[in-house]
Amino acid sequence: MAEYKLLTQHIGADGLQTRAGYERLGGYQGLREVFRRFTPEQFIEQVKLSGLRGRGGAGFPTGTKWSFLPKDVFPRYLCCNADESEPACFKDRYLIDENPHQLIEGVLIAAYALQVHHAFIYIRGEYHDQRLLLERCVEEAGGAGYIGRNILGSGFDCEVIVHGGAGAYICGEETALIDSLEGYRGQPRLKPPFPALKGLYGKPTVVNNVETLSNLPHIVLRGGDWFKGIGTERSTGTRVWCVSGHIERPGCYEMENGRPIRELLEEEAGGVWQGRRLKAFQPGGGSMQVLLPEHLDLPLDMDAVMKAGSSLGAGAMMFMDETTCMVNVSMRLVDFYHHESCGKCVPCREGTYFESDLMHRLEAGTCKPEELATLSDICDNMNGKCFCPLGDTATWFVMSAYQAFREEFEAHCGAGGCPVRGGARTAALVGAS
Amino acid sequence: MTAAPPPGDGQVGLVIDGREVRVPKGTLLLDAASEVGIHIPIYCAHPKMDPVAVCRMCLVQVEKLPKLQPACATVVSEGMVVDTQSDATAKAREGMLEFLLLNHPLDCPVCDRGGECDLQDFAFRYGPDTSRFPITEKVHFDKAVPLSDKIELDQERCILCWRCVRYYDEITGEKEIVLQQRGVHTAVATFDGQPLRSDYQGNLPEICPVGALTHRQYRFKARPWDLIRTKGVCPECSYGCNVFVDSRDFEVKRFASRDNPMVDDMWLCDRGRYSATSWNSTSRLRRPLVRDAAGGVRDVGVADAVKEAARRLLAVSERGGGEVIGVLGSPDCTNEEAWLLQRLAREVLRTPHIDHQLAEMLRLGPAEHALGIAEIESCTAVVVLGPEPEVNAPVLTLRLHKAATKRGVAVHRVAANAEPRDITARVGDARLVGVVADETNRARAAAVASALAGGGTAVKRMTVTRGGNGRGVKDMGLLPDLAPGYRPAVPAGMGGRAILESATSGSIQALLLLHAGGVLAGLGALVESALRIAKVVVVIDTKPGVLADAATVLIPGHSLMEKQGSVTNLEGRVQRIRAALPPATSVPSELRVLSMLAGALGAEGWGSGDLMEVHRALAADVPAYAAAGNGGRARWEVAAA
Ligand SMILES: Cc1cc2nc3c(=O)[nH]c(=O)nc-3n(C[C@H](O)[C@H](O)[C@H](O)COP(=O)(O)O)c2cc1C
Ligand code: SF4
Ligand code: SF4
Ligand code: FES
Repeated sequence: MAEYKLLTQHIGADGLQTRAGYERLGGYQGLREVFRRFTPEQFIEQVKLSGLRGRGGAGFPTGTKWSFLPKDVFPRYLCCNADESEPACFKDRYLIDENPHQLIEGVLIAAYALQVHHAFIYIRGEYHDQRLLLERCVEEAGGAGYIGRNILGSGFDCEVIVHGGAGAYICGEETALIDSLEGYRGQPRLKPPFPALKGLYGKPTVVNNVETLSNLPHIVLRGGDWFKGIGTERSTGTRVWCVSGHIERPGCYEMENGRPIRELLEEEAGGVWQGRRLKAFQPGGGSMQVLLPEHLDLPLDMDAVMKAGSSLGAGAMMFMDETTCMVNVSMRLVDFYHHESCGKCVPCREGTYFESDLMHRLEAGTCKPEELATLSDICDNMNGKCFCPLGDTATWFVMSAYQAFREEFEAHCGAGGCPVRGGARTAALVGAS
Repeated sequence: MTAAPPPGDGQVGLVIDGREVRVPKGTLLLDAASEVGIHIPIYCAHPKMDPVAVCRMCLVQVEKLPKLQPACATVVSEGMVVDTQSDATAKAREGMLEFLLLNHPLDCPVCDRGGECDLQDFAFRYGPDTSRFPITEKVHFDKAVPLSDKIELDQERCILCWRCVRYYDEITGEKEIVLQQRGVHTAVATFDGQPLRSDYQGNLPEICPVGALTHRQYRFKARPWDLIRTKGVCPECSYGCNVFVDSRDFEVKRFASRDNPMVDDMWLCDRGRYSATSWNSTSRLRRPLVRDAAGGVRDVGVADAVKEAARRLLAVSERGGGEVIGVLGSPDCTNEEAWLLQRLAREVLRTPHIDHQLAEMLRLGPAEHALGIAEIESCTAVVVLGPEPEVNAPVLTLRLHKAATKRGVAVHRVAANAEPRDITARVGDARLVGVVADETNRARAAAVASALAGGGTAVKRMTVTRGGNGRGVKDMGLLPDLAPGYRPAVPAGMGGRAILESATSGSIQALLLLHAGGVLAGLGALVESALRIAKVVVVIDTKPGVLADAATVLIPGHSLMEKQGSVTNLEGRVQRIRAALPPATSVPSELRVLSMLAGALGAEGWGSGDLMEVHRALAADVPAYAAAGNGGRARWEVAAA
C-alpha cells in the first residue's frame, strides 16, 4: 500500500520542516530537475498529461488552467491558495505544518512553468503559526538559492511572498483572494474576465490550492505519465482526506483516488465511534450534499460522487452517527454561510439570513409545518442565482438533508424542541471544525 | 428578418422574447433588450457605470444555459435566445424582491423617495404580495445619519447596490464612500468617518435607487406627485447642465438632473443643484416707478414707465446724439433679450456703446469655442489652463475624469501662465489636442494653441465663458466691437468699464441696464458714481439694490425661473428654458418691454415682442442659431488656430 503515499510519505521524519531535513529526503530535487529536464511549455504538457485536477474544491484540470494564460503578457502572477476555511477541511494546514518545503518547492516549479517572477502564498488569518513557519521556510529556501535571482543557476528569478488573510471564508474564492491581496475588501469579482486574463493587479494570474501545488515535485521527478497511472482515469493521483465527525481516529489520511469511501472510514479512521451505526456523511466539506450509508461503496472519484449527487470538493469527509440530528447539523452549516456571506449579492446576503432564522426556529421546534415549503423556496431562490458559489452552496446541504430526512424536519415543526437525541453533541462537533 | 447581414459588420443578432434584435458586438443584454423596448428591472446596473451584477434583479433565462444570467453583465452573442418573461425569471424576480424587503424598514410613508423609488415600483410590479419573514427579526441600523451638510443616509433603506461607492470610484474618482462590515451587517460609510467633501455630492440621492441617500435640502419638502416638473437649464454657470426644475406651491423645491450625454452626462455640481431654492426669494421688484430730478418717486403703470424712459432717453440723445447713451446687458439675459437689446441700442438708440460685462473682451472669434464638451472624450490629450475652467464650470471636471479613465485621454492640468513651449513638450505626440481655458485667459490659450498647432498637431479650443448665458450674449452681439454672429460692429463702441467711466466723466449721460444687477454688484465706487452722475438711468431688473435705488426709470423684470427663451452654453449649444414659477410682477416680458420702448422711441416694425416673433427674427439674423435649433450647437466656420 505504500505506493500511494506521495505528499505525506515523509511526514513524521525528523526535521522535515527544515530545509536540510527536507533535502535529506530528496527535497528540492524536483526544482533542480524541472530546470534540467523541461522547458516551461514542456512541463505544462507534463502536468496536462498527469491529469492533475485542482484540490481546492472545483477540481479543474491544472494543466488546462495554466494553458489559459495569454502568451506574451507579462508580468504574470501565481497565488497559492492557503485560505482553507471550508468547514471540515484541514488538509492544507496539515501539509504546511508537516511538509512546508514541499509546498514551497511546488510553488517554485509552478512559477517556472508559468514564467512568474512573483508568487504569493495567501494564507488564512487564523493559520498564524503556519504563516510564521512558511515565512521562516521561505527565508531558508532563499538562503539556499531556491528563491530569488537566477535560481540554482537556471537564469530563472522568482520571489515568494507569504500574505496573511484577515479571517474571511470568502477570501478563499480566487477573485476575492486577489482583491484581498491587492488590499481591498475581500469580495469576489465579476467574471469574466477570469484571473487567467486579468487577475492580480490586472495581470494574468493562476490561483492554485496548497495540495495541488504540493503534487508538482513528484510529477517533475516521476513524470506525468507515472502520475496518471495512480487513481482513476479522471481522478488521478492521491488525495489527502480530512476525516472528521463520529469516528474513532479523526485526522488527515492520504489515499489513492478510486478506493472505496468505506476503506477510508473503516481502515484509516477506525470506523464509526463507540460501535454506533452510520447515519449519514458529508463529503467535500461543508458546502456539499449529504450522502447515506448506501454510498459508502462509492469510489473516491470525483465523477462517481458527482453522479451520486454530491462532490468530493476540497477532500473532506465528515461522518455522522445515528444519534445525529440532521436539522441541527443543517442549522450549524447554514449559520456558517450566514456568518461568512460577504454581503455583495442580494440572494446570499439576505437569503442566508432568512435561512438561518428559519433553521433556528425549526431547531427550537417553533416553526410551522408550512414553513418547510418556505425553506425549500428560499433555497431555490438562492441556488444558482448568487454572484459566487458561496451563496449557492449555502443551500446544498440543507436541501439534500431535507430530501433525505424529510420526516426528521417535519417532526421538528411545532415540537417545542429537538425531537432527535444527540443534537447538542453534533452541534459541538460541527462547530469545532 | 431578411437575409443574414454580411459577417464582420460588427453586429450581433439575437432573439429576446421572440423579437429579433441586432446590436453592436459587445452590447450588454440589458441594453439590447431596451433597444426593442423590453424592460428588465435593475438596481445595481447604472447607465453611466460599469456593471457589478450584485443585485441579481435582472436575471433572465438564456437558452442552453443552466442558470439564469444577469442581463446587466452578460454580453450578447450571436444566436442567443433570451426569455425575460419565463416562469423562472418571474420567480427569481419575486424571490429577489422578497430578499430585498427582508430587512427593509417599510417606512415608505415617511420616505422622501416614496413615489419615485425603484424598490417600491418593482415590488409593486414584480414582487410578492406578502412577507414570509417575521417582522421582529429585521436587522436594524441608525436612521437619518448625516454624511455631510448636504447628504443624509438611512442605512435601513439601503439595498447595497454599490452605486454610491462606484459613483465615487468611477465618476468623480474621489473614493469618499466605502462599505463596512459584511453579510447583512454591511453598511455604507464615509471614508474614515469623515464628512463628505466632494463638490458633486448632490448626485448621490439621484443614483441611489431607494431612499437611503437623501438631500438634506429637500428632506420632507414634497412628495414626487405634488411636484410640477419643468425642463430647464441650470443658470449657475455657462456649462449649461440640463435640469428638471421641480416646484411645488409656487416654490422651486429642487433641481434634478436631466441627462444630456452631450453636456452634463447626467451629473450636476452641488453649487448648481443646491442653488435651486435661491429662486424662491420674495425680495423682488414688483412695480414700475419713475424718479424725478428732485428725487420724488412715482408709482406708474408699465406703459407710462416706458413712455417716460423713451422721453428721457430722447432728451439726452437729441442734444448729444446716440453716443451719449451706454447700454449694458449681462449673462443673465436670454438670447432673445440680448439680441433685442443690441438691436435697440444699435438701430434705435444709435449708440455703439454696448457690452455685457466690464472686462475687456475684444476680437472674440469662433475658434475659441471650437471644442465641444463631449468631444473632449475623442481628443488624444487635453490641456487645462489653471484651475479657473473647473472652478467656473465644475461639471467639466467629471467629463475630464471620464475622458481620462474611460477613454484614455491624457489630461494635462497646467498653470495658467505655463510656457507654451513646456506645454507642447509635455503633450508630446498627439492627434488632436483640446485646449481648455477660462475666458479671462484667452490670450494665453491662444498662445498655447498656436504653439501646439505649430508643431503640426490639430488643436481645438474650449473657452469657459463666465455667467449663465455668457456665451449666448456674446453670440448675440452684446459686445462693443461685434454684432450678432461675430460680425464686426461698425463703428465699434466702448466696453462696459469705459461706459461706466464715461458716465462718471459726463460723456455718457444715459444708461440703459438690462439684468445688469449681477455683473455690477460689488463694484462699489465706479458704479455708484456712474449712477449718480448719469442724467438718465433706465433699469430693467429683478431684485432691489443699488441699481434699483438709482434708477430714474425702473421696470421690474423676470427671473430665469419665470420666463421662456433660449440660452447658450459655453460650447455653443442653444437650449430652451421654460417658466417654472409664476411671475413675481404683472409687468409683461422683457421682450415686450423692449419692443414697447423701441416703439416709444419712434422705431417702426418692432412688433409686439412675442417670443416666437423675436426668436424667428433672431434666427434669420444669425443662421448658425437657426441651424442649431433646440439643443444643437451653433457653429461657425473656424479658421485654423
Ligand atoms: C467560497 C469559496 C471558498 C473557497 N475557498 C477555497 C480555499 O480555501 N482554498 C482553495 O484552495 N480553494 C478555495 N476555493 C476555490 C478557489 O476559488 C479556486 O477554485 C481554487 O483555489 C483553485 O485552485 P485549484 O485549481 O488548485 O483547486 C473556494 C471557492 C469558493 C467559491
Ligand atoms: S454569493 Fe454573493 S454575498 Fe455570498 S459570498 Fe458570494 S458574492 Fe458574497
Ligand atoms: S446608499 Fe443607495 S446607492 Fe448606496 S449602496 Fe445603498 S442603495 Fe445603493
Ligand atoms: S442589475 Fe443586474 S445584477 Fe443588479
